[in-house]
Amino acid sequence: MDLTEDDVLEILNLIEKSSFDFLQLQMGDLKLVVSKGGYMGSAPVAVFSDPQPAAGPAVASEPAPKAREAEVKTQAEQPQPKAKAVVRDGTVPINAPMVGTFYITPEPGAPPFVEVGGNIDEDTTVGLIEVMKVFNAIRSGVRGVVEEICIQGGQFVEYGQTIMLVKPKGKG
Amino acid sequence: MAISRVLVANRGEIALRVIKACRALGIESVLAVSAADRESLPAKEADRVVCIGPARAADSYLKVEALIAAALGTGSDAIHPGYGFLAERPELARACEQNKVQFIGPRPESILKMGNKLLAREIVRGYGIPIIPGSEKVHSFQEGLQIAKEIGLPILIKAAAGGGGRGIKIVTENGELQGAFETAAAEARAAFGDETLYIERYIPNARHIEVQVLGDRFGNVIHAGERDCSLQRRHQKVIEEAPAYSISDALREEIRAAGVIIAKNMKYENAGTVEFILDQDQERFYFLEMNTRIQVEHPVTEAITGIDLVQEQIRIANGHALTLSQSQVQFSGHAIECRITAESAKDGFRPCPGQITRWQPSSGADMRVDSHGYAGYTVPPFYDSLLAKLIVRGENRVKTVARMQEALASFVVSGIETTIPFLRLLVCQLDYIKGNVNTKWLEKFLATSSLLELGAE
Repeated sequence: MDLTEDDVLEILNLIEKSSFDFLQLQMGDLKLVVSKGGYMGSAPVAVFSDPQPAAGPAVASEPAPKAREAEVKTQAEQPQPKAKAVVRDGTVPINAPMVGTFYITPEPGAPPFVEVGGNIDEDTTVGLIEVMKVFNAIRSGVRGVVEEICIQGGQFVEYGQTIMLVKPKGKG
Repeated sequence: MAISRVLVANRGEIALRVIKACRALGIESVLAVSAADRESLPAKEADRVVCIGPARAADSYLKVEALIAAALGTGSDAIHPGYGFLAERPELARACEQNKVQFIGPRPESILKMGNKLLAREIVRGYGIPIIPGSEKVHSFQEGLQIAKEIGLPILIKAAAGGGGRGIKIVTENGELQGAFETAAAEARAAFGDETLYIERYIPNARHIEVQVLGDRFGNVIHAGERDCSLQRRHQKVIEEAPAYSISDALREEIRAAGVIIAKNMKYENAGTVEFILDQDQERFYFLEMNTRIQVEHPVTEAITGIDLVQEQIRIANGHALTLSQSQVQFSGHAIECRITAESAKDGFRPCPGQITRWQPSSGADMRVDSHGYAGYTVPPFYDSLLAKLIVRGENRVKTVARMQEALASFVVSGIETTIPFLRLLVCQLDYIKGNVNTKWLEKFLATSSLLELGAE
């Protein structure tokens, strides 16, 4: 016979008056753990778990085969992160300090701020990034010779994306 | 203009939720991530990922310009803000409007009106919906005494500049009034440099009940039932359920109708939630506030109605009329959601970022896990600690509680501490099973029980 919700609540009312900290009820196919006063039984979750330790004791145990399979699958599905920041020996990258549209010239048709082979110092403006109609000057931050410009004018750049590579030079 | 590509301006489980909804509708998703979230599960699932700034939320997820630039730069025609971050900031909705990007949410005016709590109270009062009897600002004890007489005891006195429970006093007898008023003013001055106070009716035995509403741009408004979110810790919801239990059907219909009246009068567009405080002793309810976004706990409503609320949000933003009429919304069974956070309950709910070494979420019929967790994922220290939402459904409440106990027992996370052991303890409390709770119950439970025995996985 299947118990209704009201039957279960009636049973709970009856046992409320008895003294217990923690008990497990099984009523038909309904299994319910009941605790009074914030007390957690020794291993109440064990009632529900299959023979494999699922909860508390699981720390030391090996993952179930199914779980391990799932882990491996999750890891295999992870694509490698796209390398947006370029790293090349002997050069220092200038990375976009914000997301937006990169411009290499101060205005359309004008000569570019910098060119490959050009000398720059820390304060040279190497381009502009437009964010919502606001143009932000991009400071080089490095002294040296422009080795490569990785982004074309008008291209969308992400935060941290390499704009250009600079072969650094010491002071002098 | 039909939406074909959506920029997802959020992270974690809700970002994943939105990506899945886009996929189901045949819409491309572009995820805006901070530098700390490049490796996240939603980043792997999105069609494209754009890094919008460094880890600090103020420099990435909270930066309107960066999100608009990312949307325009990737050819996205809409932005879904999720919840939190910029979801309820009119600036993002307005910037979307100005840049011809569709904001998947209400119009900026609706966000603005409901975001100002005093204004919202006035507007809703104008619609004939009860609000908690109380005052605007009170500057002197004489003024306070007058208001206390009008609204009747018990009252709650709180700092106007308030927060964090400081400067809050509950007065149940006339004799206590002056002392409480003066201490509250002194505390408010000390804590906030402003001794202005509010006085409102105190409801000792309250429940938090909220109505899910949906509106389209043609003025159609429906509700998708209500949720009970009375189990809260420090005003953060811990367990949410649908439908609300222990209220009469007549009261339930009244609350649902109140939610619809508010949304309809505001010409509210998209998904929203109207929150009410239910006085269990008086069987009366009062408007609390309206959240103009999708809520964390939306899956319990989905579980009992079969509506996909996030897909519906996108359809509405796309200019479609609501999929269902009110009479087509059918309710079936009961649903409960537990919020699993990366926190150590036995250590005062200390946040526990770090690497997850084992991840075995519950699975089974009528169980749903919304999470961005996986084995090998490192929970970053920069953001909210919500790690997973575990949702179960059953034919009635008792069976659903039993199902939740079973689901929590089989949910294994190792490497970091989570609130799973604490939730297991919570859902077997007799008071909880019987539904004998109010908004103060969880805090009281925490104060009287020893959580030290809770083990880590």
